[in-house]
Amino acid sequence: MKLTEDWLAVIIGFAVIIIGMLDFIDPAFLKF
Amino acid sequence: MSTTTAQPAAKQKNTAGFFLGLAVVLVLCFVARYFYNIVKPMTLPGGIPGSVLEYPIWAAAIGLIFNYVFKATNVHERLVPGFKTELFLKIGLILLGSKVSFKVLVTAAGGAIIQGIIMVTCVYFFSWWLAGKFGLPDTLRAVMSTAVSICGVSAAIASAGAVLAKKEEITYVTALVIVTALPLMVIAPLLARAMNMPEPVAGAWFGGNVDTTAAVVGAGTIYGETAQTIASIVKNTQNVLIGVVAFLLAYYFVAKEGGERPSAAIIWQRFPKFVLGFIIASLLYTFGLITKDNTSYDFVQGFMNWFFCAAFVCMGLELSVAEFKKMGWAPVTVYLIVTVFNTVLALGVSWLIFGWLFPANL
Repeated sequence: MKLTEDWLAVIIGFAVIIIGMLDFIDPAFLKF
Repeated sequence: MSTTTAQPAAKQKNTAGFFLGLAVVLVLCFVARYFYNIVKPMTLPGGIPGSVLEYPIWAAAIGLIFNYVFKATNVHERLVPGFKTELFLKIGLILLGSKVSFKVLVTAAGGAIIQGIIMVTCVYFFSWWLAGKFGLPDTLRAVMSTAVSICGVSAAIASAGAVLAKKEEITYVTALVIVTALPLMVIAPLLARAMNMPEPVAGAWFGGNVDTTAAVVGAGTIYGETAQTIASIVKNTQNVLIGVVAFLLAYYFVAKEGGERPSAAIIWQRFPKFVLGFIIASLLYTFGLITKDNTSYDFVQGFMNWFFCAAFVCMGLELSVAEFKKMGWAPVTVYLIVTVFNTVLALGVSWLIFGWLFPANL
């Protein structure tokens, strides 16, 4: 299966969610 | 011989351009955040609170300024591979899904399906009819009508593939979409505020009338968190219709001009798969794997804002009006009239559906 932009977005999106769920990074630096 | 050596060189240049462009976008996001935080606590002339200048406005404005600077210094083309508006936006939308409960998603999507069908059908046929009156070619009519009725850039590309439109027609419509969507992103929330619209109704209105998904999310963000969520759900639901419209268009053009009949597989091919990511993220939130009480929520929402900010910066960076001169002003006139029609119709339909039939309580 070709890696389209949509699937790439899904991979990156869930990578962020999983890292977030591991709960070891303080998100303060991301504050907008 | 020269082709085989030229290709890797071009690819290398493209990769370098991608990383350079990406670095530029990141730096501009920091600049946008800096100005947003500086102005937020201020009072602007006329007693306007600085907080009305939400970060999408800063990001798009800074993107526009640097668009001009990069073009003037002839480096814009080099950096373009890194301006990934759609990718940043899709990642942001998936992350947005992780704060939307599935119940809200289903309720809002129910209303959005009805709104989407009404809006897409009425706007598409009005645009098709009007463009015909102005004597535009059928391929341009199809690309423009799909772009204005569904979701701008990706819909334009999908329909162009189905009707075999010319490349310059796609570039032209894409430019038109961004030129109208950017001001709408700022004007629509102002109008909604003047009309004192409830956030779900305003969100549904932005989702129905603003043409690009990035500008829809921007308008929603400016108006409020609930408006951002509803606007995204409504727009995503409308985006799902791309495949169906592309299939019907391909069928129409084959019937008219001959050729191989399209397969229904086109509906899946054109289905925006990132929407599946949005739904799964919403399920994670619904089943309590992400909750508002822990740091994972702040982490995910923090990244969401950064990805959205990058998409808004890219929107400003990608704006181009050079294409308009090539095609004349008739298509611009058609597009603007249809945009006004779309805006007024969406206002009535969103009040009816989200204010009365499917009131979404977040």
